[in-house]
Amino acid sequence: MAYTGVTPSARSRGMVREARHLLFTVAPGATWIVIFLVLPSAYLMAVAFMSNGPYGLPEMPLSLESFRRLAGFGFLGWSPGNLYTLLRSLWQTVVSTGLVVVIAYPIAYYISTCRARWRPIMLLLVVVPSWTNQVIRTFGWMNLLAPATPLSELAEALGLINANMGLYPSNFAVTLGLVYNFLPFMVLPLYAAFEKLDAAQVEAAQDLFASPVRAFRHAVFPQTLPGLLAGIVLVAIPAFGMYVIPELLGGGKGMMLGNLVANQFAGGANWPLGAAGAILMLIATFIGLFAMRRIGKRLGGGEEVVI
Amino acid sequence: MSDTITAADIESRAEGSTASPEQGDSARQASSIEMQGLHKRFGRDTVALDGVDLTIEPGEFFTLLGPSGCGKTTLLRILAGLEEADDGRLAIGGKDITEVPPHKRSVNTVFQSYALFPHLSVRENLAFGLKMRGLPPEEREARVAKIAEFIKLGDLVDRPVDQLSGGQRQRIALARALVNEPDVLLLDEPLSALDAGLRSQLQVELLRVQKRLGMTFVFVTHDQQEAMVMSDRIAVLNGGVIQQVGPPREVYEHPVNAFVARFMGHDNLYPVTARHGARLTTPLGELTAEGAGEGGLLLIRPETLDLLPGEVAGDNHLPAVVSERLYRGSHAEYRLEIGSSTLQATLNNRGRHLPEVGERVTVSVAPEDLVTLSE
Amino acid sequence: MRKRTLKRSLAGFWWFTLAFLYLPLAVVVLFSFNASNSAATFTGISLRWYGRLMGNEEILSAFANSMILAITSSVIALGIGCLIGYGMYRHRHRKLGWLIVLIYLPIVLPDIVFGISEMAFFVQIHRLTGLLQPGLVTMIIAHVTFQIPFVALIVYSRFVGLDPTLFEAAKDLYASPVKRVVHFMLPTIKPALISAFFLSFTLSVDDFVISFFTAGPESATLPIYIWGAIKKGVSPEINAIATLMIGAVAIAAIISLVFSRRRQA
Repeated sequence: MAYTGVTPSARSRGMVREARHLLFTVAPGATWIVIFLVLPSAYLMAVAFMSNGPYGLPEMPLSLESFRRLAGFGFLGWSPGNLYTLLRSLWQTVVSTGLVVVIAYPIAYYISTCRARWRPIMLLLVVVPSWTNQVIRTFGWMNLLAPATPLSELAEALGLINANMGLYPSNFAVTLGLVYNFLPFMVLPLYAAFEKLDAAQVEAAQDLFASPVRAFRHAVFPQTLPGLLAGIVLVAIPAFGMYVIPELLGGGKGMMLGNLVANQFAGGANWPLGAAGAILMLIATFIGLFAMRRIGKRLGGGEEVVI
Repeated sequence: MSDTITAADIESRAEGSTASPEQGDSARQASSIEMQGLHKRFGRDTVALDGVDLTIEPGEFFTLLGPSGCGKTTLLRILAGLEEADDGRLAIGGKDITEVPPHKRSVNTVFQSYALFPHLSVRENLAFGLKMRGLPPEEREARVAKIAEFIKLGDLVDRPVDQLSGGQRQRIALARALVNEPDVLLLDEPLSALDAGLRSQLQVELLRVQKRLGMTFVFVTHDQQEAMVMSDRIAVLNGGVIQQVGPPREVYEHPVNAFVARFMGHDNLYPVTARHGARLTTPLGELTAEGAGEGGLLLIRPETLDLLPGEVAGDNHLPAVVSERLYRGSHAEYRLEIGSSTLQATLNNRGRHLPEVGERVTVSVAPEDLVTLSE
Repeated sequence: MRKRTLKRSLAGFWWFTLAFLYLPLAVVVLFSFNASNSAATFTGISLRWYGRLMGNEEILSAFANSMILAITSSVIALGIGCLIGYGMYRHRHRKLGWLIVLIYLPIVLPDIVFGISEMAFFVQIHRLTGLLQPGLVTMIIAHVTFQIPFVALIVYSRFVGLDPTLFEAAKDLYASPVKRVVHFMLPTIKPALISAFFLSFTLSVDDFVISFFTAGPESATLPIYIWGAIKKGVSPEINAIATLMIGAVAIAAIISLVFSRRRQA
């Protein structure tokens, strides 16, 4: 009784109609992103492999000169400046992400223990500062950390800084700015994880392990891990490429990779060198995303880390 | 041949049927449905319909019955136009509508999930179809008011959709379909989400509505009890093929094969191992069956059995032991052991001795009540 | 006993963190009312910096640019993103991995890479064709590019949350394809469209890096103007304009709070 003689007309007509629908709805946006983001990024990557021309514009022939420059080899032999910048970017990313985790974890937990009607307001209070423009927020810190302000004078009195120097520009100010900037990005996913926390499992753990530390390690921490990983992705990736905060709070000695790249397109004018830096940033981004996905899949108890 | 129903047709039909729904049965002509060789596959391997030929008479309450995945819902969706058949033709009221899109078919559906629009009030939900067909606001209001009275919606029309109970949603969904006065109403397991009490109440109501409107209803369910209560005729489907079509009593009492018998709730099926005229040899013993047909499987309906106390010799008498008794007030269900076989019996309790578990009894069955069917 | 100590120290930490989050903003607001132009000492209340704002042509045109940019880009992104969100929903059973990658690309790409890619691209296109001179148009294009994914994802998740049979009910109730869009889809996803528009608007106003690299000499937005002023040497006017922007955010926060309260009620 097997039926074999399908008349293809109705089926294929339906498939053509669906394909046309897909094209009509998805094509404008997809084309837009391809033309205005994929092509420019591809062009930028190509620029990294070109030579530096007279006005910083890329020229033929192809060369790896910009990567040599990025590693510190210049006209005057090797200098560690760029390497320092790279290491500083990594260091700032690691330190600020770590601090953000340390602050956000208890905050997210605390919000989840408060009364349900207060929680949205508390979350809003955490998020609202990030709605103001990044430049303004950073400007606020410039005001706070400038010489002769209470904070600077306190630091001076404690012997942490030299007289009349102020707390900015400095690497410390950049770290502070990064922590300030990214705190909400960590609180939100962690809060979501705490809210879903299976209370029964925690109570069972308290029964089984007696010590709160062990209960935390075996019952609470694993359940918040997906949120934590999501938060780390949301903080570390943009922190590594940060431009505004080190530019305003860091001064010459606080420069990060983002500034190195941006300067090649503005004052310094060496597009290929800037493009090579951008490639480095992209590689770091995709390694970060990939690593988090892998770790998240292994540890997240099946729940995928959504970026 | 494609655009058989046009918007103009719908308009004229709408204008022609301003009579109230109660008088509608005389004013309107109920429509027949003819299906020829309908085939439908999903993906490469899943066959949903494997050649369905079926004619549904005008004004019939017709039920598509079968287990999940049998193709009944696919068939209903093809009638609605929500799914396109790979092959075959479909006509309603004599007009071929195989290629007519759903919004141009005078067919409406009551969905299993009710599918009430959350962004609209109940009143706007009811008027949605009329508005889409371009009826003027006054006429929309009049028809919504009429249907609301007919289905006895009362003050439900002024409530927000998200404050309705399951039963209320079901009735709004029914009214939203009926207000369009379609040629055919399709119902996709409309009662399956409701609890038992409400369900039987709405079964009665639905039946009453159908009889008063005289509209052709096509009803999909997996519940054979519901199918028997509601239907003029039932089609039992399995594996995308129609197994049997007939009135409920015929399908229940004379199932054509083991699948239909089991699906209608029959457990007493026994292979016929030898046959001499009307004399059948089965695992239960020798039985005489008159006009039972040539099938290799004997069906004994539980309600055709009688139980006599003790051992009574006679034709079509089988000695048995009661192994289980379920008392149900008006009747009782028995599980009987005959040799290594079991037999279910259902007996009316009126003025009779109720055999106890462990009691020896004699099962008696009339020769004309025995039916054989194919595997 | 130990539990209560924990709770109390957590509460203390919460207030400390709040102070940390709001202190920089509070300082900006405070000094916008400072009578003197010192950035370190507060000498008395005055509105002189606000008065100066009103007469500053550059600031007014930067404000106008910000608004034109935010509204135009949000409207375009809403249209394109809405279509893509619906397409993703309707065809969610197909393999659309490439589309997901494309949609997430603007979100995961670091701002600075995003900005300089666009800038390098626009500069070269302009050199070759004379089109796309850096200015409001290039900024709008760049902003739409990072807004599309957010609109698409919001619209998509709204559609996913709907009962799929609603689409069939609309067909069944005589709605033609066009009427399905007008009378069913758009009204149903209206809340999602509104929040997508406001998110796009906020993202646009909030953006500095991408605007900075795609802007032309005449198209400075408020953040770009403020950046320039900071770089030149801080003027107390910056505090005033920044305070106005903080005020706008505060109002938006209150509105969103009221909205969410009402939705709960």
